[in-house]
Amino acid sequence: MINVTVNNLPVEIEAGSTVLDAIKLAGFNVPTLCHHPKLKPYGSCRLCLVEVEGARTLQPSCVVPAADGMKIHTDTEKTRAARRFVLSMLFSERNHFCMYCQSTDGDCDLQQCAYNEGLNHWPITPAYKPFYVDTSHPDFILDSNRCILCRRCVRTCSELVGNHTLGMEERGSATILIADDNVRLGESSCISCGNCVQICPTGALYDRRSAYQGRDTDLTHTSSVCMDCSVGCYRVVKTRDNRLVRIDGNYDANFVEGMLCEKGRYTPFTNTQERIRQPLIRRNGDLIPVSWGEALSTFSTQLKAHSGEEISAYINGRQPAETLSLFRNFFGNEFEAGQVALVGHDESAAIALELAKEFGAFESKLEVLNDADVAVILGADLVKDHQVAGFMLKRKLSEDLALIQITKEANTLGNNFSRKLIKVGDEYSKLLDLVTGTKPFECQEPEARYCLQALEALAAARQPVIVIGKEFAAKENMDQLRRTIEFARGINAKVVVLKGNTNSFAAAIYGLTLRPELKGSAVAFYALGDGKVCPQALEALKASGYKVVQSSYCNEATALADIVLPCKIWNEEEGHYLTTDGRLELNRVAIVADEQQRSVLEVLNNLSEKSGISLNADWQKELTDKISSIVLA
Amino acid sequence: MAKPKVASDWLAGCAGCHMSFLDMDERIIELTKLVDLRATPITDLKEPDEEGVDVGILEGGITNTYNEEVAIKMRERCKFLVALGDCAVFGGVPAMRNFPGADAALKRAYIETESTDESGKIPNDPELATSVHVRPVSDVVKVDFFLPGCAPSADAIFYVLSELAQGRIPEVNDLTNKWH
Repeated sequence: MINVTVNNLPVEIEAGSTVLDAIKLAGFNVPTLCHHPKLKPYGSCRLCLVEVEGARTLQPSCVVPAADGMKIHTDTEKTRAARRFVLSMLFSERNHFCMYCQSTDGDCDLQQCAYNEGLNHWPITPAYKPFYVDTSHPDFILDSNRCILCRRCVRTCSELVGNHTLGMEERGSATILIADDNVRLGESSCISCGNCVQICPTGALYDRRSAYQGRDTDLTHTSSVCMDCSVGCYRVVKTRDNRLVRIDGNYDANFVEGMLCEKGRYTPFTNTQERIRQPLIRRNGDLIPVSWGEALSTFSTQLKAHSGEEISAYINGRQPAETLSLFRNFFGNEFEAGQVALVGHDESAAIALELAKEFGAFESKLEVLNDADVAVILGADLVKDHQVAGFMLKRKLSEDLALIQITKEANTLGNNFSRKLIKVGDEYSKLLDLVTGTKPFECQEPEARYCLQALEALAAARQPVIVIGKEFAAKENMDQLRRTIEFARGINAKVVVLKGNTNSFAAAIYGLTLRPELKGSAVAFYALGDGKVCPQALEALKASGYKVVQSSYCNEATALADIVLPCKIWNEEEGHYLTTDGRLELNRVAIVADEQQRSVLEVLNNLSEKSGISLNADWQKELTDKISSIVLA
Repeated sequence: MAKPKVASDWLAGCAGCHMSFLDMDERIIELTKLVDLRATPITDLKEPDEEGVDVGILEGGITNTYNEEVAIKMRERCKFLVALGDCAVFGGVPAMRNFPGADAALKRAYIETESTDESGKIPNDPELATSVHVRPVSDVVKVDFFLPGCAPSADAIFYVLSELAQGRIPEVNDLTNKWH
């Protein structure tokens, strides 16, 4: 600990803290623009200048380390004049006319700084130099005329996302934000995660869909967990007048610094499917609108008219844990249905459960990726799926993380890693021989040098992490999986199994089997919700007698159903999601659904009332009891 | 004591700031108890009194030589000058044309728009004022108080005028410093 004074107030602060940290600890504030708590200090905007006694010039508090005995002054004639000068220079450089910018009134840090300093006009005439506006990206716009060159976006893209798309070109006032080697954003290596847009302090990078839809303070903010995959990132769903406006990462959450990927931020906006608005029943070949009462009575009659063996029930993994549990109880326990299945192709969750039976709790939390010095990725494409887990590795490039990756298809994850062993294929047995060093290493130049470096890194690793994805986590690889876990134990490596989509971990714990031999039956119920139609489920449905589909959207499954039930979508229903590393998180209601929309859970409750079945509601305990035997705290 | 005299005029603006002034509604009656409202674009008298006024108010930025004349005349005839609104304070919307330059902007407006045919021409009557680089009022004359906003709220205008009427300089605060 060291001692400093801020505006004559003594504070004790940890060595290694910055002057800005000390100022904040002492309860004072200095304006900042380039600084952001999620990013490393940078010191480009010069707005946070303070007086340090004995220093020749004013010091940028965000980057200067606090030293013992330092006397800091934040509010002197000199600092005030410097701040006004810095702001005047910033406003003079480009187009910072607020009246035709979409980011004002609380959405712009630059404007707010001017307000805070009482700057009510621009002492320096603007340069009026026009810059190119890049509108090539489908999700956001880059207007360099609004850019203050703080590089928060560049630093987010490299430090947090690890994608290194954004950078700067030219010098001085001509400095300009570019993508790659100066190509248009829409044609660049950008992965559309949008984290740069969220962190931009001005209107230089802005979201297309939410532009001019209101200030952030006009929007209703709903904190939720992202359920577009099983990583479980924290997001804030922003709505206005019951309309979805924007999705942001939750900076209050420490998990992956509040990052989101394209799936979590933008995909919910690109859905163009037609919504189902009311229950429908097929009569004389056509689907006719009916009341919920009639639809449910007909469904219930069909269920009662058949023995359990003649009933099949399929559910999509995007459904909340509450629903999955009730679904299993209703169809599995009460009806003893012939098939009660989760549809999809991803066995990883069930495999993890299987391995935990043999090895005990063998998995670690996703955060271990942050501390890894060697990452072995077996059968997971972190560029396509579970992208934010991929960010956790990509951003460690500069820390010289060694990457060993085996995937069916090539991907760009390892592109910039200097110590890497990339193998494309699924001959895990051979590749494990290589990784575990049980077979002599054969490889051709120049690849060999990379591979050797990576394997050497693994041998000397301080904190190796083994990530197992869906390609590897399959029944036919059980022996190799066992071998991998044993190898991990031997070298003290952490293991992470990425468990499929959204809630498949919860579904696996509830014993909802995956990829069964889906067969036709007398009555089939497909609880699809807002998910995608599974081809296998569709085939089984076709082979069935009476078909009931609950779906949010019109699709191939609803087209052949005898009863179609509307369904709430992700932002209309509250429910729990079990992340791949065993965090049970809540997705909240952000949009109030039309009264004709019901969730699968509500339908199951309606049906059980009709059938006089009361269901065990202790869905949560079953999950929490099990998790500790799979994932280490 | 005689009520302080107030005069206003507009330059390259949209009249929105004066509309916002009218938005103070019945408080105008209160205000006229405090000040002697003289020449404004919305009253009969069109030029500030030759013998001078206490407070001059200018809406809009400087886009041509005529705006410069009006601004200089107002400055000469008032003791305290208020720049009213984002155009007067910063240059505002008309200043957008500084980015492509006045020539390109005129060409686009009079010749290249979708609604003009080949007969389109840029007005060049010698009686027309000459376009200049768009500037805030403070680039031409000294401004004593800046009231930004597009438009500044009626509350802000009422506050500033009632403070000035009572011989006080208005504060720069959340009400009076709100750009749009």
